[in-house]
Amino acid sequence: MLETAPPAASAGTGAARTALMAAFGFLDWLWIVLYLFIMIGAGVLFYRLGKRSESDFFLAARGLPWWLPAASVYATHTATDTPMWVSGVIYRHGLAGLWYSFFAGWCAISAFVSTRIFRRSVAYTQAEWNTIRFSGLGAELLRGWMSGWQVFMSMFILGWVGVAMGKVCNYVFDWPVWFGLVFFSSLCAIYVMAAGYWGVIMADFLQGVIAFAVILLVSIWGVVAAGGPAAIVDKLTAMGEASRLNPFAFTGWFTGDFPIAWFATMIFIAVLGGFGMGTSIDWYVEAQRIQSARTVRDASYSIWWGTALVLMRNSIWAVAILGFYVLYPDISSTADYEMAWFRIGFDFLPVGMLGFFFAGIVAIHISTISAVLNLGAMYFTRDLYLHYWKRDATERELVWVGRIATLVLLLGSFFYGLIMEEITSWLIFALWIMAAGIWLPNILQVIWWRFNAWGYLSSWIANLGLSWLVVWVLPSFGVIPELPDYQQFWVLMVLGAMIYLPITLLTKPDDMDHLVRYYVMSRPIGFWGPVRREAERRGLLMTARDAMAEREAL
Amino acid sequence: MSWIRREWTPASADEWTREDWITIVVSPIAYMLLMVGVALSMLLLPAGYLVLAAGVLATVFMHWVIDPKLKVISSEYEKRQREYLEEVERRTRWEENDG
Repeated sequence: MLETAPPAASAGTGAARTALMAAFGFLDWLWIVLYLFIMIGAGVLFYRLGKRSESDFFLAARGLPWWLPAASVYATHTATDTPMWVSGVIYRHGLAGLWYSFFAGWCAISAFVSTRIFRRSVAYTQAEWNTIRFSGLGAELLRGWMSGWQVFMSMFILGWVGVAMGKVCNYVFDWPVWFGLVFFSSLCAIYVMAAGYWGVIMADFLQGVIAFAVILLVSIWGVVAAGGPAAIVDKLTAMGEASRLNPFAFTGWFTGDFPIAWFATMIFIAVLGGFGMGTSIDWYVEAQRIQSARTVRDASYSIWWGTALVLMRNSIWAVAILGFYVLYPDISSTADYEMAWFRIGFDFLPVGMLGFFFAGIVAIHISTISAVLNLGAMYFTRDLYLHYWKRDATERELVWVGRIATLVLLLGSFFYGLIMEEITSWLIFALWIMAAGIWLPNILQVIWWRFNAWGYLSSWIANLGLSWLVVWVLPSFGVIPELPDYQQFWVLMVLGAMIYLPITLLTKPDDMDHLVRYYVMSRPIGFWGPVRREAERRGLLMTARDAMAEREAL
Repeated sequence: MSWIRREWTPASADEWTREDWITIVVSPIAYMLLMVGVALSMLLLPAGYLVLAAGVLATVFMHWVIDPKLKVISSEYEKRQREYLEEVERRTRWEENDG
């Protein structure tokens, strides 16, 4: 997920950890045990619903009111490492750092454009959508690639988020990192395997409520510890750091830590990305929430409100981190100030509330783990097993395959989590390249009828090569200077377009029958003139003249 | 505001209209105002209250514009959803070819 960030390399001293363990009282442990009991109970409670069918196990039978997937959108956008990442950018940049978290802003337009289009396609997954939107061999190649990639990505995200939890447990209890990774992810897998998406969504709702309460409580506690809101403002002003209170404290057009060019690129990517599908890697998780909503309207509101809550949560965190900055302004180690929000909780909350705080951290953690476990299992079951392996599988069989896939993903995530330190920098690069060069193709596939499977496939392949060249190879040979990330984005977008646009135009358009069926079902926005006219000619859609007459009659 | 349509037929609601574009413009603005407004309001800065109030108003306005249309799209689409679901299932199980 784009809201995730690399786990801190180290966290706290041994002495601090020992003191923290001693501070846990009976009430603290009671909070934690109670919370875990409720979560696993959700799996048992919804076991019967989850096992009814594939649709139940992965989409809760597409029957959820908007506020349930909205809570899930919020909960899954809140991972263990999210407070580390938000703490880091706010400590470095002040309130201007909020714009780093505005990546979630793609949901502003998506809620009313790509969400509507995707919900109407009734595809289980983005990979399945590829074969609804495109046709022929290219579409099948895309589906195979997309599903394999998503299974891998799920495993990677599970390992990434899991190891962050391992480090938090190491900080709090001095447990080995592997134990925190394995213990909580395994508990979470119990209810995901038992009840599938029903368990995920119901637990997410509880976790969302608990996590928000904890975030609010701890953040207010932090603000009070810093002397209150007015004192934070006064102290920052006295320190000559009043610019930290300004969300628009730019450092120039192209210079400094927070240039206008970076901000403009971020807003452009985030907001316009909502016209497409997959412009953010969070899309793949949210796509499942979209399909689980009972109507198009519920899907739209779930995405909009879930993300609104995410952005407001970031603001609450940000103010607490400003308070932390006022208390500890001289921390230079990234690994240390990224733990700011955790330190507020563990340093300032009284005994009896520490357990509630830790239960909140566990809630934050396993809401992400459960969502990604079920998502990866869905891609494996629906797109790989059912579509390419056993097309006559029964519903019961598909549910069992979903459970086994969940277990395999869990075990794979342990492997990734434990080698994460070595591969993190490579994989961050992989995530970046996935976002940059295919950003525009992800939009074109939604808004332009002529964009075909070969164009989309070639954009992925071209991007893999070009990103290595632009980010690493050419700068290391001095052919081009090392570019800031926002400039890399524009360069990769233009270079990629020079490859996939000619390929699109030199290969045949998708089959018109296929396009007409997709258009009538999904009613996409954008440049679909020839397909629209063909649908009207076949009598499948009302012509503009008929629509005008109907409107006048109304 | 007569330029905002509040009553829709199923066919007209399926089209992308001015109301969608107003929502597309207002929605990101509402997000930005809410995010900045909450942060500044928590610091008890007067500008924060104004920004937050503007964010709430933008959110209410956006829903007022788009909700009638979304309701009609949803109720009409539900009637056809079963047929589409069966079609997608057949395609995934290789029981149907295009054309």
